Amino acid sequence: MGGVAVASERAFNELYREHRSWLEQWLSRRMGNGWDAADLSQDAFMRVLVGSQAISELQEPRAYLKTIGKRLLINLYKRRSLEQAYLDALAQLPESCAPSPEERWLVLETLQALDELLDGLPHVVRRAFLLSQLEGLGYRDIAERLEVSERSVKRYMAQAYEHCLLVELC
Amino acid sequence: MLKREVSEETRRVARSAARWLTLIESGEASENDHQALQRWRNAHVSHEHAWQKIQALRSRFGGVPPELAMASLDRPDQGRRRLLKGLLGAAAVAPAAWLVSHELPIWRADLATRVGEQRRLTLADGSVLDLNTDSALNLDAAQRRLILLRGEVALRVAAGSPFVIETDQGRATLSAGEICVRQQGDSCQFSVFSGAGQLQPTAYDTLALQPGQRLTLRGGRVESTQAFDVRQLGWRDGVLMANDQPLGDFLRELERYRPGVLRWSPSLERLRVTGSFRLADTDQVLDLLAASLPLDVHKRTRYWVTLVPREKIA
Repeated sequence: MGGVAVASERAFNELYREHRSWLEQWLSRRMGNGWDAADLSQDAFMRVLVGSQAISELQEPRAYLKTIGKRLLINLYKRRSLEQAYLDALAQLPESCAPSPEERWLVLETLQALDELLDGLPHVVRRAFLLSQLEGLGYRDIAERLEVSERSVKRYMAQAYEHCLLVELC
Repeated sequence: MLKREVSEETRRVARSAARWLTLIESGEASENDHQALQRWRNAHVSHEHAWQKIQALRSRFGGVPPELAMASLDRPDQGRRRLLKGLLGAAAVAPAAWLVSHELPIWRADLATRVGEQRRLTLADGSVLDLNTDSALNLDAAQRRLILLRGEVALRVAAGSPFVIETDQGRATLSAGEICVRQQGDSCQFSVFSGAGQLQPTAYDTLALQPGQRLTLRGGRVESTQAFDVRQLGWRDGVLMANDQPLGDFLRELERYRPGVLRWSPSLERLRVTGSFRLADTDQVLDLLAASLPLDVHKRTRYWVTLVPREKIA
């Protein structure tokens, strides 16, 4: 068994040596700056390391790294766009309504988790679900707001609950 | 994103739990339905487990301040996310790679405005740049080049070498004159007041920009060409102008300038608005609408406003 572990470690080291700076450049071109790209490429290699894909069996390592890199870029973009929207919303709240500095971070963390939970849902489904969960609207009000039938709202809600529940159950 | 393969059985249970919950929430459940739900929960430990989980899910959303959560989770850049996904999928195509590199660094733009804010900047060469609400751009004044990342910019180009405005839909070049560029969802409008220039859509041939013309690009191609209505530039003077405009369209414009949540009943969409409104005080704009149209302004908080049809007095 030890031999297998050593072999895979060697394969990983080789992968890292040969492709790290290439991946970093690839990411850097897309992000417009080097530091984040260096961070993200480390992150990508971490995922390779803990991932289930056997490195020595990779036919096209760069294509594989690129896939991981793209996924990380999208995640980073989503996190940042959420953070930006959150900060904008915070800035617009009157001082008296705004959460305390400690709470701000906790709320953002929670929102990031909820954003990931909802990831992949069609926009209209997401919106219907948020109107129900956040604004406490009934199905009829949601239907009116979204200009769809109540039946559609029911379908959207079922889809959203099922999606979230599957994430939770896995 | 699901971390590992989900068994058919888990999917089936999740679907059932979701359907039960939506039936209950819809208010259509009969006494029989409630009893049937109880039987379903008792039938298997996995059913009860799923039911508990789905209840807990509801309280997760209840734990965050609703205004902040709505603004962040329902942020209006879903279109851009889709675009980004599409582009990354086709990263081998040259214009796409060009776009993505400008798409990401919005949070560190050179020049940005908050919602409701407008900024004017006079460049060293005498060109004047107005940035409208909720906008961001990167500027390279020496190269006479700017990249519009978000929102709307109006530019009065002083005579000299051509000024380049890049967007994710295309690149406009203007030597002297006045142009307004607005990114809106996944389309972009180029309106020329004076002067002439060129427009290079990302996925189509270069075309000439004529004064008085508004070109809309989508998917890197020309979607429409219209006459340019000069009223659309009222924002530079802090004014929003409407001439017999459907209220829905007017409110969608006003929303851009207003922090917080603005909602309205669908039945108000087709009312008509005419007038000049000061953007500096959008609360007052809403009050003016309430004074001239059959609608009421409901303020849940200062930043959470809903317009509803005025109730008839019985």
